[in-house]
Amino acid sequence: MLIALGLILVALFGAPLFAVIGASALIGFHQSEIDLAVVAIEFYRLAEMPVLLAIPLFTFAGYLLSESNAPHRLVRVTQALLGWMPGGLAFVALIACALFTAFTGASGVTIVALGALLYPALTEAGYRHNFSLGLVTTSGSLGLLFAPALPLILYAVVAQQLGIGGSITVDDMFLAGILPGLLMLLILVAWSLWSSRGVKLIPYSKAEALSAIREAAWEIPLPIIVLGGIYSGYFAISEAAAVTAFYVLVVEVFIHQEIPLRKLPQVMREAMLLVGGILVILGMSLASTNYMIDQEIPTQLFDWIRARVSDPLTFLMLLNLFLLVLGTMLDIFSALVLMVPLLLPVALQYGIDPVHLGIIFLANMQIGYFTPPVGMNLFIASYLFDKPVTQIYRATLPWFFLLFGAVLIITYWPSLSLALLDRS
Amino acid sequence: MEVKLKRVRAFILLAEDGVMALLLTAMILLAVTQILLRNFFDSGIIWADPTLRMLVLWVGLMGAIASTREDRHIRIDLLSRYLSGSRRSFIQAVTDLFSAIVCGLIAWHAARFVAFEYEDGSLLFGSFPAWAGESIIPIGFGIMTLRFLFNIPLRFLAGDRQ
Repeated sequence: MLIALGLILVALFGAPLFAVIGASALIGFHQSEIDLAVVAIEFYRLAEMPVLLAIPLFTFAGYLLSESNAPHRLVRVTQALLGWMPGGLAFVALIACALFTAFTGASGVTIVALGALLYPALTEAGYRHNFSLGLVTTSGSLGLLFAPALPLILYAVVAQQLGIGGSITVDDMFLAGILPGLLMLLILVAWSLWSSRGVKLIPYSKAEALSAIREAAWEIPLPIIVLGGIYSGYFAISEAAAVTAFYVLVVEVFIHQEIPLRKLPQVMREAMLLVGGILVILGMSLASTNYMIDQEIPTQLFDWIRARVSDPLTFLMLLNLFLLVLGTMLDIFSALVLMVPLLLPVALQYGIDPVHLGIIFLANMQIGYFTPPVGMNLFIASYLFDKPVTQIYRATLPWFFLLFGAVLIITYWPSLSLALLDRS
Repeated sequence: MEVKLKRVRAFILLAEDGVMALLLTAMILLAVTQILLRNFFDSGIIWADPTLRMLVLWVGLMGAIASTREDRHIRIDLLSRYLSGSRRSFIQAVTDLFSAIVCGLIAWHAARFVAFEYEDGSLLFGSFPAWAGESIIPIGFGIMTLRFLFNIPLRFLAGDRQ
């Protein structure tokens, strides 16, 4: 108990999470008198999971895209095609952000890469300042539930490692995320339509549409190839990632020539910093999870919770609140790796489908990015748009409540997540 | 002396970035080649898949080493931002020491694991020895241990400057 408190304290004081998790595994195995080489052996399992190949490849492709002018082309082409509708530019922002986040894996780059383009465009078109700020800040994590977003992949990897609750594949998660993701998108679109009454419409221009499409001609096939390949089952996830990385590399470096070859190692390093950060945490948690299961800690946790919470509904409600708070403190990747091994066995006992739990978890973490007072994207937006963070709070609040409503629907309506799967 | 040290440091950083870029490029090219072979020629390279999985481990650890260098590991850090000056440096030095000890222990036990595999002579695929691929674990955590240790005095220097 004292050791656990000490570890939490060093974590709160800023020790790297992988070291904290590693320490807990080392101490645990030491107390059970198991040879500590087991930590290294567990860590080595990183080289035994083929799907992990997708993580460095998708992350690299995402960083490369955000370093090039692709965000600009993406905004231009959606604007040319959708901008003429009422609330058109708001649609553009929502759809462009969702698409971009799905491909960059919700590492916080969306708001930086797209927000800086969209915010001035929105205010110029006559949208209210606070509406535009809220929209851009909220959209920074939208799209997390759409393939091939990294958190979906990581959840499947972590859940699969536990070996309980039947098979949970990445493909399951990719299918399960579609409808809940669309629900969120739909709610925000409706809200944008309502709030943008009175904004002057931009006429549709065929010439601009054609020219925008021509400019983005190299990028438009990308989502089609990748999503088509994944959903049709033609590509395994890691293959889709390899194709994406290679395609983006060729297009942005050699065809558009927007990233000079000598800058490439720098972009690679930036991407691999994130990948390394995620993988060491995952590797350490493979060891600590192994120890936790060995000690039946999830079972103890369940007994403790069951003594206090009898029905699944109350459990889900508490889960929502807990994840909301967690989402403001932990980034999505460490939260996944740390909490899923604890939560999944408990949730299974309450009869919750593991895939549904994953979607609840991620949807909750998505709004954690902009939950006041400490959501990460609130600070990024404040810095990026040079506005006091209190104004960002006010601007984001209506969006927060709308998406929190969506999270509740997702939580209490399991078939929304499970309808596209065979298992429901 | 200082100039020389700086040059050594610059060289190490360059070498690290170079190795990382090389590994990632190899990963992309190998993965794409394998897909092309599978789909158009109905064949494949036997050692490609285990090599790719091994590259994930290597790239991950190289990334972790770079994260340690730039002090950009994923962390929670709710409390230390409320501290100022020398207290903050002290806390950072303590967390560095903590991380160094953890990494050091893992490096040591990983080295034992690799030594065991070496004696065992286990092979990964064909004739490639497993210990060579696994050796990145003790090497990676060893380098991270040193980095965390070197960070400790730097924290106080940076604290003085603030």
